[in-house]
Amino acid sequence: MTAEPDLRDALLAAVPSLRAFAISLSGHVDRADDLVQDTLVRALSNLHRFEPGTNVNAWLFTILRNLFHSEYRKRRREVEDPEGSHAGSLKTQPEQGSHLDFEDFRNALAKLPADQREALLLVGASGFSYEETADICGCAVGTIKSRVNRARSRLAALLNVDDMEDLGPDSMTRAVLGK
Amino acid sequence: MTSDKGTKLAQAGQNPSSTETTNKKSQVNPKLDTTSQKRIGDQLRAMYDELMQQPVPDRFRDLLDQLDKAQPSPKAPPEKDSPEGSK
Repeated sequence: MTAEPDLRDALLAAVPSLRAFAISLSGHVDRADDLVQDTLVRALSNLHRFEPGTNVNAWLFTILRNLFHSEYRKRRREVEDPEGSHAGSLKTQPEQGSHLDFEDFRNALAKLPADQREALLLVGASGFSYEETADICGCAVGTIKSRVNRARSRLAALLNVDDMEDLGPDSMTRAVLGK
Repeated sequence: MTSDKGTKLAQAGQNPSSTETTNKKSQVNPKLDTTSQKRIGDQLRAMYDELMQQPVPDRFRDLLDQLDKAQPSPKAPPEKDSPEGSK
């Protein structure tokens, strides 16, 4: 079994969206890149398990998502403050300064439970259908729909609450942006 | 990727009867009004697009090139260094 050029190109083409998903999911750029790397290695060593004609991206996202969760469980045992470390690390984004509006959003995203966050990211940003997302996450379509809805409501609440209560520098950013 | 697919799905996912009459109750409402939903969707995609536009780190290109050339047996991935090791 060799890595056909087509497949190699498909893997390479998938990297930006895998990274975007991994960064948004984990909140750590370094960790996200490790996840993407492990995903590619695992994909390449499991090529025989890929069914030709099926969606390469969905397959890769499934691998990445499973890696994330097994690692998350491991880390959770080591570090007792997953949410705090997640939120804290978001402030070290290299693009800090140019996109403070996203920083607000990322912080809110980081407060969601991981299962809601991943459902929202897959459906709302990665372009997967509810059915594909259900396959990737290994659960029912109805479960995904309710996770996405809860994620949206929670985000709306978090972002609005910040508007009213937080008069820090972020509110200035919002004023500049006309929000 | 199909971002309008996501939009369509987002619209399909909400109760159509509540789209125009969302201001009826301004209390804490589990059902999001269309404006907030759209705003969140837009922000999410904007954040994501920004991440997608970042250049692909060389390590991934190198990794795929390496495996492509070497065509290793499935059991031998090249130098799988443990991420950030043990302290």
